[in-house]
Amino acid sequence: MNMHVNLQHTPAERALLEAFDARIGNLPGDGLIAAKRREGIEVVKAGLPTRHVEAWHYTDLRRLLSAVPAEHGSGAQPLAPLLSGSNVLTVENGEAAGSTDIPHVAVSRLSAKLDEGQGYEQITQADAADVIGALNTAFASDGFVIAVADGAQLAAPVELQNIHGGGQVHARFAVSVGAGSRAQFIERQAGNSKALSSSLSTLHVGDDSEVMWLIVQEQTADSTHLAQFRAKLGRNAKLTLFVMNAGGKLVRQEVRVDAAGSGSDFQLRGVNLLAGDNHTDVTMVLDHSAPNTGSREVIRNVVTDRAHGVFQGRINVHQIAQKTDAKMACNTLLLSDDADFSAKPELEIFADDVACGHGATVTDINQQHLFYLMARGIDEKTARGLLVKAFLAEVIEELEDEAVIEALEAKLDAWFVQHG
Amino acid sequence: MPAVQETIDQVRLIDVDQYKYGFETTIEMDKAPKGLNEDIIRLISAKKNEPQWMLDWRLEAYERWKTLEEPTWARVDYPKIDFQDIHYYAAPKSTPGPTSLAEVDPELLRTYEKLGIPLREQEILAGVKKPGHEASEDGVVADEVVGEKRRVAVDAVFDSVSVVTTFKEELAKAGVIFCSISEAIREHPELVRKYLGTVVPTSDNYYATLNTAVFTDGSFVFVPKGVRCPMELSTYFRINEKNTGQFERTLIIAEEGAYVSYLEGCTAPQRDENQLHAAVVELIALDDAEIKYSTVQNWYPGDAQGKGGIYNFVTKRGDCRGHRSKISWTQVETGSAITWKYPSCILRGDDSRGEFYSIAVSNGFQQVDSGTKMIHLGKNTSSRIISKGIAAGFSQNTYRGQVSAHRKATSARNFTQCDSLLIGDRCGAHTVPYIEAKNATAQFEHEATTSKISEDQLFYVMQRGIPEEEAIALIVNGFVKDVIQELPMEFAVEAQKLIGISLEGSVG
Repeated sequence: MNMHVNLQHTPAERALLEAFDARIGNLPGDGLIAAKRREGIEVVKAGLPTRHVEAWHYTDLRRLLSAVPAEHGSGAQPLAPLLSGSNVLTVENGEAAGSTDIPHVAVSRLSAKLDEGQGYEQITQADAADVIGALNTAFASDGFVIAVADGAQLAAPVELQNIHGGGQVHARFAVSVGAGSRAQFIERQAGNSKALSSSLSTLHVGDDSEVMWLIVQEQTADSTHLAQFRAKLGRNAKLTLFVMNAGGKLVRQEVRVDAAGSGSDFQLRGVNLLAGDNHTDVTMVLDHSAPNTGSREVIRNVVTDRAHGVFQGRINVHQIAQKTDAKMACNTLLLSDDADFSAKPELEIFADDVACGHGATVTDINQQHLFYLMARGIDEKTARGLLVKAFLAEVIEELEDEAVIEALEAKLDAWFVQHG
Repeated sequence: MPAVQETIDQVRLIDVDQYKYGFETTIEMDKAPKGLNEDIIRLISAKKNEPQWMLDWRLEAYERWKTLEEPTWARVDYPKIDFQDIHYYAAPKSTPGPTSLAEVDPELLRTYEKLGIPLREQEILAGVKKPGHEASEDGVVADEVVGEKRRVAVDAVFDSVSVVTTFKEELAKAGVIFCSISEAIREHPELVRKYLGTVVPTSDNYYATLNTAVFTDGSFVFVPKGVRCPMELSTYFRINEKNTGQFERTLIIAEEGAYVSYLEGCTAPQRDENQLHAAVVELIALDDAEIKYSTVQNWYPGDAQGKGGIYNFVTKRGDCRGHRSKISWTQVETGSAITWKYPSCILRGDDSRGEFYSIAVSNGFQQVDSGTKMIHLGKNTSSRIISKGIAAGFSQNTYRGQVSAHRKATSARNFTQCDSLLIGDRCGAHTVPYIEAKNATAQFEHEATTSKISEDQLFYVMQRGIPEEEAIALIVNGFVKDVIQELPMEFAVEAQKLIGISLEGSVG
């Protein structure tokens, strides 16, 4: 990146650079980590990506990122776990807190690991173009390193809470699940005041293991949330990822999954609820890099008011990945003329014996469906609400876990109450 | 690695080595020196006896071009083009504007004879064919319109100049103007000035800007109000001379209620070095007008090692300027080493409609990055995209398309289907659609699939005694049927054969 010689930094970029200078001395880790952090901050020095960077075409981060608070916030409100009985691990205002005692699971604080000179591999960016990874690498102050033992069948979900009382917070969760295990993780992203939050989760799913991972994002309507979920699947591993975005002003959730083990399977389900002036971008890059892998992605978006929605999904099928079966669908209900939605579902295929497909639709509520309900005496507002909810609930119900479905539908209802 | 060797052997056999239009015609040529500068542009303009405004327009484009950078976003890979190493003007010497066939160099006529069927212009040039004598060599009978043979008016462009246009007088009777663009600039400056560059502006993109500066010829069609063009119009493009670039410019205007169907075919000699082709096509449809534009692109694709072939960088755009207007693009792309081409529709008029039907076949080391843009601006506009990509050998085949609905484009409707077929595991098929909706009443549907020919299908056909290669051709032709049936009859048969030939040797 040598083209930015005479770059004029934006106020947000200046604020980030200043925050970095102020924080670097206190961030955990030795000189090696500090060097990685300095490398990470280069993305800000070089200028944040604009719409001319293909991966950020619909989310011009440089233009959209405005306020960058300097300080950590304080006074985060603890969340009740999404599912009762979960083991909760909390990062509060960028600092890991609370008990780390979970059966069959080794949990350590990221900051402690780094200070002990361990965990270099936890602090990385995916590649040179990984802006969120770089930002998070530069600033990550704490989080958890979690290892689920081989053959463990976790009885209760592990809930990872990244909560804050505003300000600027950067957390990281590094999870590895051993061979032949079963686990459920719930990632909560929330705060009670304006914030710039970045969060990065990495997951390794061991051979023959099965993981369900839920991300529930409920930032305040004036917050920026930049998040990344990175996963690598072992042989015959199965990962189901569910993402719900129901908050924030500027949100980018990246999903990078590598189906690297033969016979592995990846399922993504997403529900994005966009209202007000929200801008939410879900960007997925999925690699099928082993034979006989499968994937299904279903993303449902509801966009209203003046909100902007983005879905970018790219499926890369490597030459070795014969017999790949990949399907991606992105369906959007665009409910307001002031809102917009952009989709870019890409297929990049180098193997011939595959069955890949994607579908994308953008429509308003089906008038016939509406008429059908209204003809039965249901008023228009209720009828519309029912149809929108049915459109979203369809995806949630595919999760086949009663407790999860119930909890997520409750979230859905809460959003509808708030946004009518 | 025997498997690799096997693949290489197969690819060695493929058609790219057996390109049947690879001959070269030796005709005395009038060439401008290599290189690009203001003097060359002045020379081109002077050769064409152009008015001052045209020269000014070219020079302005050249100034803009110097400030632009070559685009790199497409999924194509090629060594940097040296724009100073190209002849920007080459014309057969013996044709100072032919007025009748007798004046055309017989060498040229022989060239068209060799080019053969796509347009059957030899027969046409020779005069009207007798009814009942229509069976072509493959036994397919051309369709007849009310007992009369459908005729095709041809404008043939040889390197930089248009050498002959047929049926001009008959078209003139209907009020249709069909001539080379150079002639139009001289004879109908008011029309050219009014419309040229209004769809693809001067600085639209790198290649379009270059074209504006140096375009040498192309076709001009004007169909006046309420006229249904009495015959198919066609242009035949041929790059013949070494180290020349072909930069043609086509402008088609259909006034209120007019209809025209236009065909375009292209070939080039077989050469080791790459040649550049950068064309601009502008279509304008006013109220209730319809333009149907079909292309069979069969430029030399390079040899089995990927050496040589045409770099095809084309800007094609249609403007549905009037209400209820319609523009339809149909393309069969089998040639060129590199294809960079996105025939688009701007749906400006209310209730206007845009269509894009495409078959892109790539084999050998060909790289195709093609697709369309449907820009919905008016109310109740609709568009339809059917794209079929077939990749074999070591080729890369990308569909890149954009569908967007503007805030005011209420009830915009789009349906997109792009399917890819992979033959062999060394090629790639990619789909990059951009879908942008800014209006709640817009209804966009997009679907894409990628697969190989299923073993079940193949087995089904083969067990009926059909050899594998034919079985594959049959299945492929079924795969592309949706597009083939959009082509005018004259092209449909040829296109079907072309696809078969292009894929020859890719299986086994």
